[in-house]
Amino acid sequence: MEERILEFIGDLRRAELRISTAEALDALSASAEVGLLDRETFKSTLAATLVKEARDLETFDRIFNLYFLDLEALGEGLKKALGPEDPKVQDQLDQVLDAENMDLDELTELLMRGQGSEMEMAIRGGAQGAGLERLMYFLQVGYFSRRISDQFDWSAIERDIEKIMQALEAKGLDPGQLARIRNYLELRLEAFRRMIRQHVQRELERRAYRAGEQLTREVLSEKPLFALTPDEVAQMKSVVAKLARRIKDALALRRRQEQKGRIDSRKTIRKSLQYGGVPMEVFLKQRHREKPRLITVCDVSDSVRNASRFMLQLVWSLQECFSRVRSYVFVSEIAEVTQGFNNYPVERAIEWALKGAPVDYHCRSDFGYAFSRFATTELESLDKKTTILMLGDARNNYNDPQAWALRLIRERVKGIIWLNPEGQWGWGIGDSVMPLYAPSCDIVRECRTIGQLGEVVDNLVHSWWRRG
Amino acid sequence: MFESVEEVQQRFKDARYIANRRISTVVFLAARMGRPVLIEGPAGVGKTELAKTLSDVTGRGLIRLQCYEGLDEGKALYEWKYAKQLLYTQLLRERIGELIADAPSLPEAVSRIAGQDDAFFSYRFLSPRPLLQAIRADDPVVLLVDEIDKAEPEFEAFLLEVLSDFQVSIPELGTVKAKHIPLVVLTSNNARELSDGLKRRCLHLFIDFPNPVDELAIIHLKVPEIPASLAKAVVAAVQKIRGLELRKPPSVSESIDWARSLVILNAKELDPSLVEATLTMLVKYEKDIERVKGALDKVLAETK
Repeated sequence: MEERILEFIGDLRRAELRISTAEALDALSASAEVGLLDRETFKSTLAATLVKEARDLETFDRIFNLYFLDLEALGEGLKKALGPEDPKVQDQLDQVLDAENMDLDELTELLMRGQGSEMEMAIRGGAQGAGLERLMYFLQVGYFSRRISDQFDWSAIERDIEKIMQALEAKGLDPGQLARIRNYLELRLEAFRRMIRQHVQRELERRAYRAGEQLTREVLSEKPLFALTPDEVAQMKSVVAKLARRIKDALALRRRQEQKGRIDSRKTIRKSLQYGGVPMEVFLKQRHREKPRLITVCDVSDSVRNASRFMLQLVWSLQECFSRVRSYVFVSEIAEVTQGFNNYPVERAIEWALKGAPVDYHCRSDFGYAFSRFATTELESLDKKTTILMLGDARNNYNDPQAWALRLIRERVKGIIWLNPEGQWGWGIGDSVMPLYAPSCDIVRECRTIGQLGEVVDNLVHSWWRRG
Repeated sequence: MFESVEEVQQRFKDARYIANRRISTVVFLAARMGRPVLIEGPAGVGKTELAKTLSDVTGRGLIRLQCYEGLDEGKALYEWKYAKQLLYTQLLRERIGELIADAPSLPEAVSRIAGQDDAFFSYRFLSPRPLLQAIRADDPVVLLVDEIDKAEPEFEAFLLEVLSDFQVSIPELGTVKAKHIPLVVLTSNNARELSDGLKRRCLHLFIDFPNPVDELAIIHLKVPEIPASLAKAVVAAVQKIRGLELRKPPSVSESIDWARSLVILNAKELDPSLVEATLTMLVKYEKDIERVKGALDKVLAETK
């Protein structure tokens, strides 16, 4: 069983759970304490020793179910046959086995007395002989189940069963009892067969899952945002959430490390009273770091919608890092969507911002118009603490770029950071007016993938406002 | 202490705490392996209560350390009673004078005083705080470190050191080793991420809101005088309200309070006006209350 647990831990690690060697050892010794009899207890044991984040429990559950046989899934009758629930029959069997000292096949022995987990071990042994590692497609399930079955000597089992039945008959059991015992044995045999098939199926699922996880993490975060399919967009949400958490954690760490500042005289004097007025311990004032105000301005036309979605999600998941976040979306008309975020949970607010805000989603994007409107209506509310995070491809459909508006805005704020979901090679070609806007921006970054988006926001949170 | 997981479950139930399979498994393991348990989960699901019940069930004393921002070693471990030391030296001035009266030189006088160090740096002048109490206790205890996430990370690191060896060193007195390994329960509301080291060291238990069956059992246990039909209605309504995306969904302790107040009001069933009037027992934010009021039909749909 230890091997199986270790293999399971390997799969958890592949699913990005951090599990140290010490924890793996804990899991082994803890599961030795509780045993394997009760699946729920066993599962809780592994969860308590291996999973230290509540958010990872879901992943754990999923992988656990792929890994460890669920007797419930075999159906009520078979489960009963495998469990110790039929003690009377089992008693009679045990008596016969002990008394007659029969020479039985190893597998029969297992079938007679074994628990589900022991049978599973036998199946795993068989699976290795059958070359299960070559399993790849759903269509092969039947084939491999048969191959594993072939590893066991079924005729020997049947012979043994006959032998046992004869021995029982010789002991003078009535036909009703005999039929019940035969039925019990056959149920167990059937359960064993089904376990084999279930094992192969789970193995297949496990592989598919493993491959899928890999894909999400590695490929998706490098894939251009505009090329994501709706399915991938759904998967990306969790990737972005992870990214946000990482940035937040790192930020918390850095804040703690700060140890300089002015003396907090009140606290120091108060403590010094304990030492007869001698300031033995000096306390420093916690320096309040100015959190930046952030305004996000997102182009939500079709071409860059995915990028806007993820940036909004990222920024709003990081809200604690900013003193205030306001969001605007535009195609050509510009509208504030902050309210949506205050009223709905993030996910729904983003959907609303991308589809239901009071702007015309079907016209062509016009950055110039949007900026000039923004400059006329919102200029008063801007100040030197505010950073503007702009997201758009600056493809202006040959409208008037009105770069003066952006310059005007820049004069009022701390800085403008422009994220462009289009490759750098395209800036300035065709209707792209990026070069006209770039001089008004403090930072202009290409932001084609989630990976790049993460870098920019990380950078923003950590160093941008430190520069004062 | 416990022979099996079932025994844990039963004994907790006898002590009026419904522990599901997960909770009892973790408690069993903690007792067996001598490991601290870190409990996380939303407020009011019975994290602190678990530690109290554990102390009840095992008959061990409970020592509680409530964490807060600015908690330091002095408040958690020990502190010298400086004022008392000072007072004693003042009172004993004459005796000290006698002691060094015939010292031929200053170094000699200093070393004579130094020889009396022990008189002033002894347990007499030490006020032990919860951690040291737990370690020095003559009988085994349950140590509850409540809301560890409120304390600073430095304190967490220090706690980790104590929890891994169960010994502390007091420079003036030497190392104090625990006579009995205490059962340690830490709770966290997840206000911030705890360090990996601490998590590695602990068994982890996440307690979420209970499922309807468990919650019904809890309410019957805590509010025994409640009619069965009303208890069922309360649980159904609370579970529905938790699904409403509130700022703070009602916790178990709040649903118990609500059930209790309904019993006091002699309610036989949940009618909308009664629910509206007592809603503040359950939901604490203005916006949340409005939300629940708006969805009252849905909330009460299955309680009839």
